[in-house]
Amino acid sequence: MNSTRNLFLLTLIVFILLVALLFWETSPKSNIADGQAIEFYCAAGMKAPIERIGEAYEKEFGVPIQIQYGGSGTLLSNIKIAQRGDLYLAADQTYIDIAKQEGLLQETIPVANIFPIIAVKKGNPKKIQSIRDLLRDDVSYSLANPDAASVGRTCKTLLEASGHWAQIETNAKVMKPTVNDVANDVKLGAVDAGLIWDAVAAQYPELESIYIDELNQGEMTITLGVLSSSTIPTDALRFARYLTARDKGLKIFEESGYQIIDGDVWAVKPEIVFFSGTVNKPAIDQTINAFAQREGVAIDTVYNGCGILVAQMKAGQRPDAYFACDVSFVKQVGDLFLDYTSLAKTDIVIAVQKGNPKNIQSLDDLTQVGVKIGVCNEEQSALGYLTMRLLKDAGVYEGVRRNVQSEVPVGPFLVNQTETGSLDACIVYAVNAHPAKDKLDVIKIEHPLANATQPFAVAEKSDHKYLLGRLLNSIRAHHDEFERVGFDWLGGSTDNQNADQWTKDKVKTLTGEEL
Amino acid sequence: MVLTPEPMRLNENDKDEAHLAFQQWLDIPFWICLWIIAGAYILLIAAMLLADLSYTTPYDLIESLKSEYIQYSIRLSLISVTISAILSLWVAAPIGYILSRVSFPGKNVVDAILDIPIVLPPLVIGLSLLILFQAPPIKWFESTVFQITYAIPSVILAQFTVACAFAVRTMRSTFDSINPRQEEVALTLGCSRWQAFSLVVLPEARRGMFTAFTLAWARAMGEFGPILIFAGATRGKTEVLPTTVFLELSIGNIEAALGVSIIMVAAAVLLLIVIRYYGLDYSKQGVA
Repeated sequence: MNSTRNLFLLTLIVFILLVALLFWETSPKSNIADGQAIEFYCAAGMKAPIERIGEAYEKEFGVPIQIQYGGSGTLLSNIKIAQRGDLYLAADQTYIDIAKQEGLLQETIPVANIFPIIAVKKGNPKKIQSIRDLLRDDVSYSLANPDAASVGRTCKTLLEASGHWAQIETNAKVMKPTVNDVANDVKLGAVDAGLIWDAVAAQYPELESIYIDELNQGEMTITLGVLSSSTIPTDALRFARYLTARDKGLKIFEESGYQIIDGDVWAVKPEIVFFSGTVNKPAIDQTINAFAQREGVAIDTVYNGCGILVAQMKAGQRPDAYFACDVSFVKQVGDLFLDYTSLAKTDIVIAVQKGNPKNIQSLDDLTQVGVKIGVCNEEQSALGYLTMRLLKDAGVYEGVRRNVQSEVPVGPFLVNQTETGSLDACIVYAVNAHPAKDKLDVIKIEHPLANATQPFAVAEKSDHKYLLGRLLNSIRAHHDEFERVGFDWLGGSTDNQNADQWTKDKVKTLTGEEL
Repeated sequence: MVLTPEPMRLNENDKDEAHLAFQQWLDIPFWICLWIIAGAYILLIAAMLLADLSYTTPYDLIESLKSEYIQYSIRLSLISVTISAILSLWVAAPIGYILSRVSFPGKNVVDAILDIPIVLPPLVIGLSLLILFQAPPIKWFESTVFQITYAIPSVILAQFTVACAFAVRTMRSTFDSINPRQEEVALTLGCSRWQAFSLVVLPEARRGMFTAFTLAWARAMGEFGPILIFAGATRGKTEVLPTTVFLELSIGNIEAALGVSIIMVAAAVLLLIVIRYYGLDYSKQGVA
């Protein structure tokens, strides 16, 4: 009777059938175990290598990688609004820098370096060799919009510097919003040339890259970021390490024509040997445990007196990183490490019982007859060595040595002994005395050598330099821990006179941050 | 082949055969002009398709069809687009009827609001949806009931948001073109509003409903901007055909992008022809 109702029923049935079909619909990835998927925002231009890496990882570890492609800027907006996802791979570092400034990223890992070039058809039929050739009457070219695409911005900056920009901009046949649009123009023959990244040109078998001097300074680093919004950071970092491992993901990038960075060696659970002076323990212990847990790596931290650590290294032990009690204890094994960054500083002080019953005010007072003194062993510990250097420089070494009742490998023992009253005074780091500040008085020593600076160094031969760069970043991010236990925070400034530019660059590549 | 319609016979008594023939002859330049204009546009569309075909080969087409991601995106496209079109029709029919029959304060504003999805740039629609779905109650819904953002429901919602606005326009003009007299007669004969609407108006509006459906369907098929932002371009998950085209294009794989586009064109043309054929056929029966 009612054909309207029949029509409605028909659409309803079709609707229900289709929804059922959607539930039934299986993604091509359904053969992968139901682990929690890693949500990965990836610049669309890098789809080729990333798809292969993602598939290889899925196959090897059964973790689904959900890759969402888009323009780097579009993806960044999505990340900002949606506040979800695990990883972000931008076409160049500018987007990563913005994301970092906005607090969207935790860790960053470099992948490859890219350069702006002139892309032409294979064989270079128009014989374009320089920026001048672009301005020839028989040559047309397209540019990426400097406001929309980073290659456009980079080219603009470089060509402004070389004085070509005004002409290049006016004579461009067209400006396109993305680097791939420019590459497609050249491929389709709509223009003779285009200014794009070399890595993009490498994706097109029809194109050829012309490297020119004016653009060679425009190197950019493709960088992978771990998002702050990640609910599975350990899984995300494991895949990030896979993607940036020189024997895994980077190999695939290299095959796709990218100029890759050196990268770490792949390990499901990297094992790191980390040497640290005992004095640093209270400031870094928590940070290191949290870092190891987040990264899903095993860190074997060896705390000991730095003299012992140096002796072990000289005997052939090879830690991946070394956080020394003082700069002098890195220099002794300097050939094993990339240059260091000084993170913190602590004074060398005299600790006495509360109320200072023996009225000790200076190093000279320690030479008085009958004062029971504790110092650290000169060979075993940095503190002992530094104390010796200080006393000798102050000219009281012999006098103080006569009163030494206790000689131990690390400072905290001396603090305990002074606390219990078996010693009248001890020479320790301010941070050693800090936990007992209710029971001890601290006397400052007025002498330029009465302090120690704690440097962090990464082993030159370590397979996990970038991982250690992230550890360094993590330690720097938790510098309040240092202040809490009584260190002065130096913030990783390098005060090493010999630190050359290479070293600074090295630290910058490892940690992704300026010193 | 008849290229011109039968001449209108206003008053057969006044016009003799000769005059009529002369008038028909006079009309020829007019029809030629119309055919040239129409032909030029149709030629442009055909030439575009030909250009696409010349850039790709059957091999590319078969290669792209072999990819399980592309197969998935074809299936997801067809299903989601049809769901969106049905939803659009359900929503557009009542709205169109209200706009056509009822006058109320602020009608102009409502009218303008309904045009917003048509006027807004597609990317902005996606962005607005994404922002909307960050509201705490919706987030709670997503975490406890089912995920919408970046999942299949977001594809359908993005398509529906835009497609429905087009369906509303069509339904409104459909109801406008139906003389309200018949409903009024039905009402005076003792029908309720619902009865008048379902028994008298809707059967007459059937043709318009098919048009609205196909328009919504076609619109949803080509939808990309909102999906890119709101549903993302995740391979094998929220990847519909326009997404595939975008992904292939962004790595310079123009051949595959065109292969997928041709699949899209073929699917759309086929379905539109089928729906139009049956739709018109059915509506004739309905009216009779």
